[in-house]
Amino acid sequence: MNRKSFALFIMPSVSIMTFLMVIPLVTTIWLSFTGLLLRDLDSAPFVGLQNYREVFADPNFWRATRFTLVFVAITVPIEIMLGMTFALLLDRVQRFRSIYLAAILLPFIVTPVVGTLLFRNLFSRGGLLSWLIELVTGESFAIDASNVRFLILLHAIWQVTPFAFVAIFAGLQLLPQERVDAAAMDGARFWSTFVYVILPHLKSVLFFVAIISIMDSYRVFDSVFVFAGSRFDDSHTLSVYNSVEALDAKIGRLGKGHAIAVLTIIGIFVALIPFLVRSYKEQIAERT
Amino acid sequence: MKSTKQILQRVGLHSALFVIVIWSVLPLLWTFQTSIKFTRDVAAKVPVFWGYDTTANAYRAYWFDDQNTNMWHVLFALIVSLVFTFSLLIAGRRAKRSWPFNLLALVSIVAFLSFVGQKFETSDQFEFLINSIIVTVATVIVSISIGLLGGYGLARFSGKSGAAILISALAFRALPRFSFILPFFIIAKNLGLLDSRTVIVLALVAVNQPFTIWMLRTFFLEVPKELEEAAMMDGATRIQAFVRVVIPTMKPGIIATSLFTLLLAYNEFLFVRVLAPTNWTLPVGVLALAGGESSMGITEAAAAAVSITLPIVVVIILFQKHLVKGLGSGAVKG
Repeated sequence: MNRKSFALFIMPSVSIMTFLMVIPLVTTIWLSFTGLLLRDLDSAPFVGLQNYREVFADPNFWRATRFTLVFVAITVPIEIMLGMTFALLLDRVQRFRSIYLAAILLPFIVTPVVGTLLFRNLFSRGGLLSWLIELVTGESFAIDASNVRFLILLHAIWQVTPFAFVAIFAGLQLLPQERVDAAAMDGARFWSTFVYVILPHLKSVLFFVAIISIMDSYRVFDSVFVFAGSRFDDSHTLSVYNSVEALDAKIGRLGKGHAIAVLTIIGIFVALIPFLVRSYKEQIAERT
Repeated sequence: MKSTKQILQRVGLHSALFVIVIWSVLPLLWTFQTSIKFTRDVAAKVPVFWGYDTTANAYRAYWFDDQNTNMWHVLFALIVSLVFTFSLLIAGRRAKRSWPFNLLALVSIVAFLSFVGQKFETSDQFEFLINSIIVTVATVIVSISIGLLGGYGLARFSGKSGAAILISALAFRALPRFSFILPFFIIAKNLGLLDSRTVIVLALVAVNQPFTIWMLRTFFLEVPKELEEAAMMDGATRIQAFVRVVIPTMKPGIIATSLFTLLLAYNEFLFVRVLAPTNWTLPVGVLALAGGESSMGITEAAAAAVSITLPIVVVIILFQKHLVKGLGSGAVKG
């Protein structure tokens, strides 16, 4: 394909990404240096680094950063391990396979906002799990500041595991059975087959799942917003903190909100740049 | 003859999978049985598992303003339209041309919705359902059409700028919603476009474009170049070859990518909440009722959760094979 027809084919995609992502992104960066307020959108006085100084001095920012990092560090590895376990188990059965598959995929389909309502219903008064907890501990159970983080993490793991599962499961379907059989013929135990045959085969899948999961957990919003909301400030992630500062009717500081957004973006790119550079080199290598 | 050890292994495997199934479906099952209970049974200190009286009160409260609505009539209309839809879909799979059947199936769903909307006094949530459907369908159609062109270009062009676009798209995939949403909000507000479905669709198409072009590109890479080259030798232009020869081979890729887009659009919360002060979709609508310390009853919140989940679950389960294949051949190698 020559350059001219490539330009024609790619134009709609690139222009929508330019107008609706690049330009808003540049606007975000510019507005982060202004004192824009939600209730007065007409004046955006330039305030220099004022917003950034305020964000750095805000303990809520550091708390949200810490919880976001904890959130990523806990959910991503557990998600991948559980997804791997589910996929390896399902790969060994044929009977009822599509029923199991549908059931395992369910949490991935459920709207995140609705998923949090489902969890709240399990743990609120009269819920199955709050009743079980009371039965075991003998104390009454209610969702409060001390356990809301646990619920947020549990729900996140429930919700994202199917994604890792389905990618790994799909990857396993592409593994030639002969290689597993050959390993078994050589008398390999499950663990050595896993380490020397399955894991190397899944390398790129796991890499893909890890990157996507890190991106998605880092910017988690919906479920944390519902669970923590305005009640449990210290369980906010960066996106929720950002929404409170920028869009809360009482505060509504868009300038500061944009500064938080910019810092969040810098955070994810510091983590992703090695990966992006690697992917770019791969792409170039493919072409020559 | 199977040995005892093999049988034990089978039993162990299926029990483990059964535990996984429980972990996955328990929250929805529990909420479902909450949604059909009376409030007195829900508030019981020890949960009532069996033998409780069932009621559709919660569903009536969620979907209808008129609290004398006969839910049997609604259920009857729903079942008739579903039977119709599924028979058409099944007939379509066997027929030579499936699209007239699929179109009729779609018509039967639309007919059901407009029937309910006219015949009964529906609540705001019914409006939000219609919004959700329109936004989701529009997002899927626009994203996939644009994405097909872009993905094809990226799969067939070997210049360096192609690589640069792919990597920038990947970088955009990582950005949090707040990188764009505040400028969107300001611009939409100044143009008087807040509350319009178009703005939400545009926003969703944009944030979804990086993923869409990556996934579709990977599917295009699997289509042999010779296919369109042969057509172009016979005098077709590149666009003609693309539409008539390449697109028809892309059906699995289009379905898989559409499913992911569908999930993203139907489940979106933040964009709608910020860009639409009143004209919501279902996720924002349910939270306005059930969030925080509002007065919405536990049973009604449960009915809402079940009502929002079932349509999308049915759609995904119908196409679940494509979802797995899509990740297998599409995203994974990308």
